[in-house]
Amino acid sequence: MKRSLVAALLLFFTLFVTGASADEHHQPAAAAVEKSVEATHSENHDKSMWQLLSSFYKTTGIYAFTNPKDGVVNGEGEEVSKFHQSWGRIIMIGITLILFYLAIAKGFEPLLLIPIGFGGLLANIPMANMTSDHGFLGVIYNAGIANEFFPLLIFMGVGAMTDFGPMLANPKTALLGGAAQFGIFGTLVGAAALSQFTPLFDFTLQDCAAISIIGGADGPTSIFIATKLAPDLLGAIAVAAYSYMALVPVIQPPIMKALTSKEERVIVMKQQRKVHRLEKLFLPLIVLGLSILLLPESTPLIGAFAFGNFAKESGVVDRLSDTMQNALINIVTILLGLGVGSKLAAEKFLVGDTLGILILGLVAFAVGTAAGVLMAKLMNRLSSEPINPLIGAAGVSAVPMAARVVNRVGMDEKPGNILLMHAMGPNVAGVIGSAVAAGVLISIFN
Amino acid sequence: MENMVAESFKYMILGMGIVFVFLYVMVLVLQFQAKMIGKYFPEKPADKGGETAGVDKKKVAAAIAAIQHHKNLRK
Repeated sequence: MKRSLVAALLLFFTLFVTGASADEHHQPAAAAVEKSVEATHSENHDKSMWQLLSSFYKTTGIYAFTNPKDGVVNGEGEEVSKFHQSWGRIIMIGITLILFYLAIAKGFEPLLLIPIGFGGLLANIPMANMTSDHGFLGVIYNAGIANEFFPLLIFMGVGAMTDFGPMLANPKTALLGGAAQFGIFGTLVGAAALSQFTPLFDFTLQDCAAISIIGGADGPTSIFIATKLAPDLLGAIAVAAYSYMALVPVIQPPIMKALTSKEERVIVMKQQRKVHRLEKLFLPLIVLGLSILLLPESTPLIGAFAFGNFAKESGVVDRLSDTMQNALINIVTILLGLGVGSKLAAEKFLVGDTLGILILGLVAFAVGTAAGVLMAKLMNRLSSEPINPLIGAAGVSAVPMAARVVNRVGMDEKPGNILLMHAMGPNVAGVIGSAVAAGVLISIFN
Repeated sequence: MENMVAESFKYMILGMGIVFVFLYVMVLVLQFQAKMIGKYFPEKPADKGGETAGVDKKKVAAAIAAIQHHKNLRK
């Protein structure tokens, strides 16, 4: 940076000098500049125009992209291969442009894909080294992602935004939020089997666990677990998790329709009862209390979530809950996105593992949806009150997208059958369920 | 790791078990809570308005009648 500036200055003065008097090489002004340059970069002394241009050319991005070298290291001091320095970076920049397209033109989770994509774009700039410990992205990553801080702040905001009313009105449906977590554990077994018996993947159990958490359909939880268990895979896991969450309206309906009959899809559910204010107020304390007793490992996630929800339901700190729901979560989303984007550097993302992660993540998502629907079918058979099996699909914790998808599929089958509130119950329970599942995984590997 | 599949299968049993136990206990506590709150802190009946509306109607009718009567007298 500094050197290129100096080179540009020198270029200007050299042109000036050669234009004014060809034989006089040391005009006073030029001499002064050269002196100051000499102080910082003595090797720049007395260079011909051509040498200057060629040394400047070596500091350009064009040169870095077209002339990969051995021995170039990334922010973490690991050597970057020649492919990753040249085509790898270009491909990654292309991928970030695709992410922008999906976010802007298709409306896929733009709040996350735009910062993640831009972080990825910045991380692939040669020579700028933004992902190093002193680089812009590296500082963000170390400040809040390496220590799992930002995902917790996001969880706090999600807690402050969540209304547990629908779940409280019909607590039984919370079990559907548990069934959908089978997406996580089923995929864990599948990934382990593929790693062990096939040459396709070579993941450790930790890696498998971090990948399968994508099935929980919960962005902050995925980032939290990935940072703890498999930090190298973070970029791919976060991108997969958020992309699939955005693709919920595409992925879920075919699975929902395949597993249910027409008669089941048109089931009308009973109107929900009114929930007392005190029930909502006590809920975060109950959830936190249970996690303290059963699974203290999950209390960072559930504690932050419960705090946000408690602040909201207490009704006396609207300023705080408003900040958590808006200003704070927005700021953290920017930082989280950029920090995660720093893991989209070519040498981290363009590896064989990424493809495996994308495939296994999709499987995890589909299995979670299917398990939720099957559980809802079972509950419908056993329960005295009718339960529309479609709401089981909302057990994955993509709030409120999954519930909206359930509502839409229900309306397609039977116009006027509004399932939204019934689906919100399993949906918010899914958030708790995936946080508990995350806690179990952490406790296993600690 | 000797047998990753067997290992991960155990994790699955444990994980799904804990998730269900957690949510099931939560459901029980919530149902109990709903019962207790319903018993000790009943919501004030919201449809009290029906009766007052009835009273109001009578008063309104009386007032209209009185004004009408007053107007009739002035003619």
